[in-house]
Amino acid sequence: MGIFKRIPDWKEIAPVYAVIVLMIYTWTIMWFFWKLPSWLFFMNAGEILLVFIYSVSTNFVESLIILCAPIFLCMVLPRQWFHDVFVSRGTALVAAGLGYMMFLALQFQAKNDYPAIYLKAWSLALALLILSFIVFLAGKISIPRKALEAVADRATIFLYVTIPVSIISAIVVLFHSVV
Amino acid sequence: MSRISRRDFLKLGSVVTGTLALSNIAPKLSFGRGPSVPGIVVFVFDAMSAKNLSLYGYRRKTTPNFERFAQRAVVYNTHYSAASFTTPGTASLLTGLYPWTHRAINESGLVARDLASQNLFEAVGKGYYRLAFSQNMWPNYFFGQFQSEIEKILPPAAFSLIDEVYGDKFGTDLLTGHRTFEDFLLQDGVPPASLFFGLAERIQMHRAVARVQDADYPHGIPRTGNYPIFFKLKDMFDGLISTVNQLRSPSLAYLHLWSPHAPYIPAAKFWNFFTDQWRPIQKPDHVLGEHILPSQINNRRRAYDNYIANLDDEFGRLLDFLEQKGILDQSYVVITSDHGEFFERGEEGHVSPLLYDPVVRVPLMISTPGQTSRKDVYAPTVSTDVVPTLAHLIGREIPAWAEGELLPELGGSGAPGRSIFMMDAKYNPAFAPLSIASFAMRKDQYKLIYYKGYEQYNGRDAFELYDMENDPEEMNDLYSDNPSIAGPLREELFAKIDSVNAKYKH
Repeated sequence: MGIFKRIPDWKEIAPVYAVIVLMIYTWTIMWFFWKLPSWLFFMNAGEILLVFIYSVSTNFVESLIILCAPIFLCMVLPRQWFHDVFVSRGTALVAAGLGYMMFLALQFQAKNDYPAIYLKAWSLALALLILSFIVFLAGKISIPRKALEAVADRATIFLYVTIPVSIISAIVVLFHSVV
Repeated sequence: MSRISRRDFLKLGSVVTGTLALSNIAPKLSFGRGPSVPGIVVFVFDAMSAKNLSLYGYRRKTTPNFERFAQRAVVYNTHYSAASFTTPGTASLLTGLYPWTHRAINESGLVARDLASQNLFEAVGKGYYRLAFSQNMWPNYFFGQFQSEIEKILPPAAFSLIDEVYGDKFGTDLLTGHRTFEDFLLQDGVPPASLFFGLAERIQMHRAVARVQDADYPHGIPRTGNYPIFFKLKDMFDGLISTVNQLRSPSLAYLHLWSPHAPYIPAAKFWNFFTDQWRPIQKPDHVLGEHILPSQINNRRRAYDNYIANLDDEFGRLLDFLEQKGILDQSYVVITSDHGEFFERGEEGHVSPLLYDPVVRVPLMISTPGQTSRKDVYAPTVSTDVVPTLAHLIGREIPAWAEGELLPELGGSGAPGRSIFMMDAKYNPAFAPLSIASFAMRKDQYKLIYYKGYEQYNGRDAFELYDMENDPEEMNDLYSDNPSIAGPLREELFAKIDSVNAKYKH
């Protein structure tokens, strides 16, 4: 079987992507509202909207990059390990992985002064091990598997909003800063 | 039909090649050397208080090379920045407007959109090649606003060791690019708003910083305080020299360095440059201060002085270059700062509502083409005077919108009775009347300070009055005992504030 044929159907990709979108966009929007009061001191609505548009475009790129991770695993791992349970294991992978990234982001507030313990090889290996265990359980045990599939399926509703908004934002960025 | 011989071809080829080569080099060689079109180079050293410069009589010998420059410049001894931190201070320098007019009053704020076309670059005009560089990110927001009037904007991390600034990659929209990336998605000091790129950038930064080892900086590489730009002072001055050397003729170059702004990290040679045990006169803590211990404040002052000495040493190299290249003979060279720094009254730095002289009195020296002697001006002047003066000096019309006046010795009279103003309103919305702010007004020998709306004063107005000629350290508050002096000054300041607030009252 060709490696590209191992790429899951878009109907399976969509729920996993929806979880990525939900987490990535929510994180940015949360900080956007945290920042908004100070911006309102000196920026007008149009300028704030432009920042939002640039941010959404960046989120779009980020979400697509992150989506590559479960798809890549799907292509290189044995079918029954990932492909056949793509939604549950893919959702577990991105949810736990992005959750860990959020944890790291909260630790690494200053760019050049943060606890380097989280960048040690053993620390990263441990995180990877825990992540793998979570992904393993997600496809093995029925209740979490079904729960993850249900959550991911319901999250797809957000794609109807985020994808058009992201595409429009990307076009605006292109015309505003490049053309 | 005539035929071109091999010899003719070679002659033609050499002429064309020579012409092309000269056309490329000539503008660089002739910077500021035109018979009637002098260049303008403005050097801004961030957070450089006039009070800490031996140039202005400071006890420690911090600035021998600035003193050397002063020997061929007009030296303004009572020059004020219109504000106490970079955003409003630089905006006033670049627009000739007071902060209450240009409204860039908040940290990383912007010039009022309807006034953004009124700036130094516009005043100098398209006849000049206009270049802007600021290592401090905040003036880059103004460059974004003035983008159509500037031919070349150097990125803030130019000449730096580590560059983690991404907003400038959005060439045609510098303003949104910086605001989105530097102030939000990759913001420092709080978790990045971009989960993936933010984290990747932090890890990359961590590794880059770990890689940099330099014997000149055993205590760490200097960095800008508000954005992750790491640099060596020597590289910065090499960059400035190279930039000035490549300017076309005639040019306006606005070059804004981070140093001597905190964190004060001089090179090893200057780390313990001042080893004296000198302690300046102790001043009582201010109710709006942070109540930092005097010993801690004195240590910070010494670190600041060491850093200025390091800066001055590098400035000496720049000065040698300016002299050797004849740039001082053919150009206006301006040395100034956007605000000062202070170490007294339980406070250090400049993020403060206090407006005592150390935080608002800044150096200003202007060397005119071919000037060979020092001229001292003691009349109070303010940063809003720079734009109209430079426009006047190069024969441009003095901008009607500028709130400053021509500087004495360069077209202005310096007549007594002039009122100049300083303010800090970083916690006041830019689009609202000024209700929480500090103001200072200097008129002749007196300086009135007005605190408005601070909760430490229970929201009540508070005033201080100093006789700056007889009490330059601002120790004896004359406000309560001298109503006949304080009253008219207070009423004049109130009237001014009322007039600037009127525009924002709905």
